[in-house]
Amino acid sequence: MIYELTEEDMERLLQKIAEEYDVFGSKEELGEVVFSKISSFSEVSEKKSSYSPKDFLIKRSENILEIPRAEKKAVIGVKSCDLRGFYLMDLQILNKDPFYTVRRQNTLFINFVCTEMCPGGFCTSFGGPVLDDYDIQVLHIGQSYFVEADPRYERYLAGFRPASDQDVFVKHSKEFNRKYGKIELNGIEKRMKWSSKLWTEFANYCISCGACNYSCPTCYCIDVYDDETGRKKEWDSCILEGFTKTAAGNVRPDLSDRLRQRFYHKFKYYKLSKGEYLCTGCNRCVDDCPVDIDIKEVITHDYDKE
Amino acid sequence: MITIKNEYLPEKMKPIRFRMETDDTYTIVFSKRTMSHAGQFYMLSVDGVGESPISVASGFGNPLTFSIKAVGSVTKYIMDHRDSAIGLRGPYGNTWPWKGADHIVAIAGGIGIPPIKALIEDMESEGNLSDLTVLYGARSPKDIVYKNEIEAWKKELDFRITVDNGDPSWKGKVGVVTTLIPGVERFKNGSAFVIGPPIMMKFSVQELIKHGFSPENIYLSLERRMECGIGVCGHCNIGQWYVCESGPIFRYSDVMNEPEVFL
Repeated sequence: MIYELTEEDMERLLQKIAEEYDVFGSKEELGEVVFSKISSFSEVSEKKSSYSPKDFLIKRSENILEIPRAEKKAVIGVKSCDLRGFYLMDLQILNKDPFYTVRRQNTLFINFVCTEMCPGGFCTSFGGPVLDDYDIQVLHIGQSYFVEADPRYERYLAGFRPASDQDVFVKHSKEFNRKYGKIELNGIEKRMKWSSKLWTEFANYCISCGACNYSCPTCYCIDVYDDETGRKKEWDSCILEGFTKTAAGNVRPDLSDRLRQRFYHKFKYYKLSKGEYLCTGCNRCVDDCPVDIDIKEVITHDYDKE
Repeated sequence: MITIKNEYLPEKMKPIRFRMETDDTYTIVFSKRTMSHAGQFYMLSVDGVGESPISVASGFGNPLTFSIKAVGSVTKYIMDHRDSAIGLRGPYGNTWPWKGADHIVAIAGGIGIPPIKALIEDMESEGNLSDLTVLYGARSPKDIVYKNEIEAWKKELDFRITVDNGDPSWKGKVGVVTTLIPGVERFKNGSAFVIGPPIMMKFSVQELIKHGFSPENIYLSLERRMECGIGVCGHCNIGQWYVCESGPIFRYSDVMNEPEVFL
């Protein structure tokens, strides 16, 4: 069931959720859109946050010898592309990493469907911006907030007005896709070439900063290490040289090897092992890359011409 | 506050026995019984130093044993602090598929021998040692691990050994382990299990195929940087597979087209 809420209704919905959850929202602070605690729906910004809300699920760094625990948190204003990233990560790490799992199970995400494509975004290539899997999904058109909920959360919508148009998300998806089109993936998992010059080209200007990994809502790799305060897991980057170093040697000694791994993981390996591409078209890796490496080039590159 | 079980939390134990095998390789034995099958591994850890994936060297039901070459911070620390408690979590990974095979030729290079010791003990417990041939290559006579066990194994099974570089006291074969492969050609319809340094595995596979073994019957135990052991950290992939999750043992025909299979 899709409901049609007013702004006042959204405030009531948020207060209902706040009875059970600590509520966080995307909001503007010092010129950046960040996720922090909110007490009113009026604080929510619908702009794309500066960073994906990945750290609600995977902390930048944490002690893994402690008990994995989570508080019930609701996060409102998540963009569909970021949320879709979490559903993709679930396929590999849910029910394996206890810290991720306990947070995933106790975090309620309320995603906002975009009405305009963000600069550089290509979510339409991955089925966006309307999601099939969500907790509570919101589409804001004019004065109306169209809201749908997974059966687990449907009870929060009881009492609100059912939308007269029950196809509003489907229609929006069609209209959005028609308006912005999409970059055809065209069997990218079969097209990419191991020996492509693209990898060495990227390596010529990549500075191995790892920003692409940290900004990505689907990058789940972590480094596990000890220091004087305990055993930690910390966001890691497959672009860094030590990522695959062992006593027997390094399987990816060159930067071009590591760049290729990143794109093969996203567009081939995950497709083969999980049936999905490990990308949501959010464009965050492009936005944050200091040397303008564009993942879209990996998709559009003509490998046959090489 | 909701909590769940922590898979990263190790069980801490002190070894009941410690034995130097060579100058840089040692064996530790715990009182706990081995609940893994040959080919699997544990994450061994020392607080404040780190964790390291180590193959089990003992057969199911025997006292849990590891033989470790001191090459990194964790493996060196354990050698230098024999009294300290070691963190253990596992077992993880898959096992040598020896059951139902016609004959097994196990080829171990260097510190690849411990999981073959586990294989010998697993096969022995089911009375199958006549189906096993082991080819073991060490760098030099002083690098041979399990010197005592090898004397016993030579009486119980077809165990052949060679060293890359001999010394005046060495009466046995000299040459890399692949030079023993022509001698096992009559087992070409059986399975080959290969474990050791990447270069040794690469040439062993080439030699096995040259002598009639099929890629479907060759199994490799692969080594990668495994930081979690449970398919989470993302460091140990070979193509679409994580070595900790789908391996460490792979059928060669499944991975032969992966450019990164050997280093």
